[in-house]
Amino acid sequence: MARIKGYPEALEAKLRDRYVYGEDTNGKFTETVEKISMSIPHMCYQCGTCTASCPSAPRSSYRIRKFVRRVALGLETEALTDPDLWLCTTCYSCTDRCPRDIAPTDVIMAMRNLAFKRDIIPVNFLKTVQAIYTTGHGVPNNDVNRAARVKLGMDADPPTTHTYKEFIPGIQKILDYYKLKANADRIVKEREG
Amino acid sequence: MAERKTKKETASTKDTTAAVTKQAPAKAAIGEQPQKAKEARVGVFICHCGTNIAGSMDINAVQDYAKTIPNVAYVDNYKYMCSMPGQAVIDKAIHENKLTGVVVAACSPRLHEPTFRTATKEGGLNPFKFEMANIREQNSWVHMHDQEGATDKAKDAVRIAVAKASLLEDLFPKSVPVEKAAMVVGAGIAGMQAALDLANAGIKTYLIEKTPTIGGRMSQLDKTFPTLDCSQCILTPKMVDVGRNENIELMTYSEVESVEGYIGNFDVTIRKKARGVLSVGEAEAMGIVGGGCNGCGDCEAVCPVVQPNTFEEGMKPRKAIYIQHPQVVPLLYTIDFESCIKCELCVKICGEKKAIELNKEDEFVKVKVGTAILATGYDIFPVENKTEWGYKRYENVITSLEFERLICASGPTGGHMVRPSDGVAPKRVAFLLCAGSRDNTGNGKPYCSRFCCMYSLKHAHQLIEKMPGVQPYIFYMDIRSFGKMYEEFYYRIQDEGAKFIRGRVSNILEDPGSKNLMVFADDTLLDRPMKLEVDLVVLAAAIQPAADTNRTRKLFGVSCSMDGWLLEAHPKLNPCGTTTAGVFLAGACQAPKDIPDTVASAEGAASAASIPIHVGHVELEPYFAVCIEEKCAGCGMCVNLCPYTALALIEKDGRKVMQVTEAKCKGCGTCGGFCPGGAIWMNHFATPQIIAQIDAFLLGGEQ
Repeated sequence: MARIKGYPEALEAKLRDRYVYGEDTNGKFTETVEKISMSIPHMCYQCGTCTASCPSAPRSSYRIRKFVRRVALGLETEALTDPDLWLCTTCYSCTDRCPRDIAPTDVIMAMRNLAFKRDIIPVNFLKTVQAIYTTGHGVPNNDVNRAARVKLGMDADPPTTHTYKEFIPGIQKILDYYKLKANADRIVKEREG
Repeated sequence: MAERKTKKETASTKDTTAAVTKQAPAKAAIGEQPQKAKEARVGVFICHCGTNIAGSMDINAVQDYAKTIPNVAYVDNYKYMCSMPGQAVIDKAIHENKLTGVVVAACSPRLHEPTFRTATKEGGLNPFKFEMANIREQNSWVHMHDQEGATDKAKDAVRIAVAKASLLEDLFPKSVPVEKAAMVVGAGIAGMQAALDLANAGIKTYLIEKTPTIGGRMSQLDKTFPTLDCSQCILTPKMVDVGRNENIELMTYSEVESVEGYIGNFDVTIRKKARGVLSVGEAEAMGIVGGGCNGCGDCEAVCPVVQPNTFEEGMKPRKAIYIQHPQVVPLLYTIDFESCIKCELCVKICGEKKAIELNKEDEFVKVKVGTAILATGYDIFPVENKTEWGYKRYENVITSLEFERLICASGPTGGHMVRPSDGVAPKRVAFLLCAGSRDNTGNGKPYCSRFCCMYSLKHAHQLIEKMPGVQPYIFYMDIRSFGKMYEEFYYRIQDEGAKFIRGRVSNILEDPGSKNLMVFADDTLLDRPMKLEVDLVVLAAAIQPAADTNRTRKLFGVSCSMDGWLLEAHPKLNPCGTTTAGVFLAGACQAPKDIPDTVASAEGAASAASIPIHVGHVELEPYFAVCIEEKCAGCGMCVNLCPYTALALIEKDGRKVMQVTEAKCKGCGTCGGFCPGGAIWMNHFATPQIIAQIDAFLLGGEQ
């Protein structure tokens, strides 16, 4: 630090070492992601069809192509700690169009699973878990929606756990089995106190 | 000395080939085999292939084991058996040890069987007294990390080969005469070049073309990369040469209907589709003096039926009686009977020339040829299947072949490059490379179509040259500029101002008002998604084998690879040959090829196809089936099983027996395996030989 002699923090970040070192790559990571995603990210030829299809890319720094590249090279830490990992909307446009028949969306989902095992996950995702646990919905119905539904001639609540609340314990049982709720509660507590 | 003696012996036996082979089965009746095996003295030669084999197994252990196998009289090993010294080892051992058979344990017979057969012959034995044990492709290469297992497997392979070598018979290749004529199917640049080469070598050549004119895809192109020659200008002289060459019998608007026979003697039936128009020659033959079509075009002027011209990719009209473009060879009108309404206006205007016959039907012509070349070419992949690019949905998305016609001076717009929606010259043009190529989704082609990069560079150049101020954008994944002066051409186009964007286009949207197009891609080098508004999009669509390729290849018994391209005999060392003797491949029917490669391939195919014709006869591998007439019940069940129509039932001495046309028989063994009476003897793969191999394997060497 001292040798940079008082450069501003932003410049210091710009001047950091950017080499990819052999030690950064982990072949096991590539294998694990392929196994979970049941896809073939190592076959990517970096054409960019995925990023060009991506509704997230034009309005964020999320680059699905770069994530697939990181998997191919086994850059585990770089991939899992990049907060962009959570900007995929899972619309599957990239999966539809990938000329190499890779499912980039599933690759992202696989990495999210691996990240979660390390407690790397944004709090809003965990709040979704909590919402599912209590209501059976990631985005529960609200009064505005209910009014709109009634106006369109539908029941105020959809025929899901909103209407059949007796099925909520079943959902809770699944989430409890995988300790998803407990982990979510724990991490939220750690972050928000 | 020894060698000379052998040759003489072979020569003297050649005359009696037929007799010897016919007698072979009777002589080698199953009961006599063990007796024969006892007399066999087999030499085993184990090849190290450097470390290819020796690195994965214990050669000494295999050698020691081979010495214990019954009938083995001599065992040796050498670093490279296929080398001259290696072959000398075999030659010497045969003489010194009075060997009756040779086994070489080495690579695949596909590679070196001919080499070791020659070595066996040099040693004074019949070349068919040789058997190969494959201990490389089927052993050391696949069991690289299992030394012990590989060694055991090699022992098995040697034992099995020795069992067969002990029972091998002398065989003599059969010679058949070759008809001094050839056929070329398809008259694009490949077929034309092949036909010209054959004809100039003095061979009568039938050139068959399904469309009304020769010239093929190349005649649709405006300019050719990287020299920028006008395509028609360099092609038409060749077309005229083909039309004039005395040795070429040109049959346009014709298709191959059926093929019978084998190398040297193909009987081909050709369907001459009803053209409705007589050539000058045909008219003369019918006694119409001064008649026949002279290409005046009066008929076209009066014809009331309008159809799209396929030569112009449907962008220009033609009549029901038409020529595709002004430079057609032969200059002869054709009636499209699908759309002709038989109003007879053309007949009237044609008058005394009497060239038009509206009641014509297809005719069939039979010709005999010694060899044939397939040059059936390619079609454009239906790129509308990739719905994200909107071809056929958005007016201003066109294919590269449509671009060629639009920029060509003789094309539908007279060479004025305009966009289809409004006839206005475009200012920004996007070229999409790999449009359907390098695509593993199943909706597309997994291969590289090979010339799209280069013609798209050429298109960019043509725009810049013809229309100052136009900006071409080339969306690419890799620029594959592999040929002579191609990379230099790439440099030139970049210098001229084309913009290269390294990213594949994900989708295109149309502005319904302006009909402009929004092109979405990831500029992977800038690492930013891109939305580019352009006036025209040109899809460098993938190519695929021409529509009728599958039908034609089946007629000639040629295989195709997984993607439909016709299969060559060897991808590197025999790219023009096929697995059917006497049938060769030229041009893009084998794989995507640009013009220089197509012409080179055509000249290669012509050269290969002329060899049997110039030699005058071909030697066939003597692997054919032989009928043991005493055992044959004449049931005829084998006749229908034969995939090569080589078998027939004949009357002999008052009863029916099967007869093999040896030149047609490929020795596949279908009949031999099936015959309920065991009356069919497969030369070189005879039942006792195969049983001995199986026994050797199952009994592990115990007798």
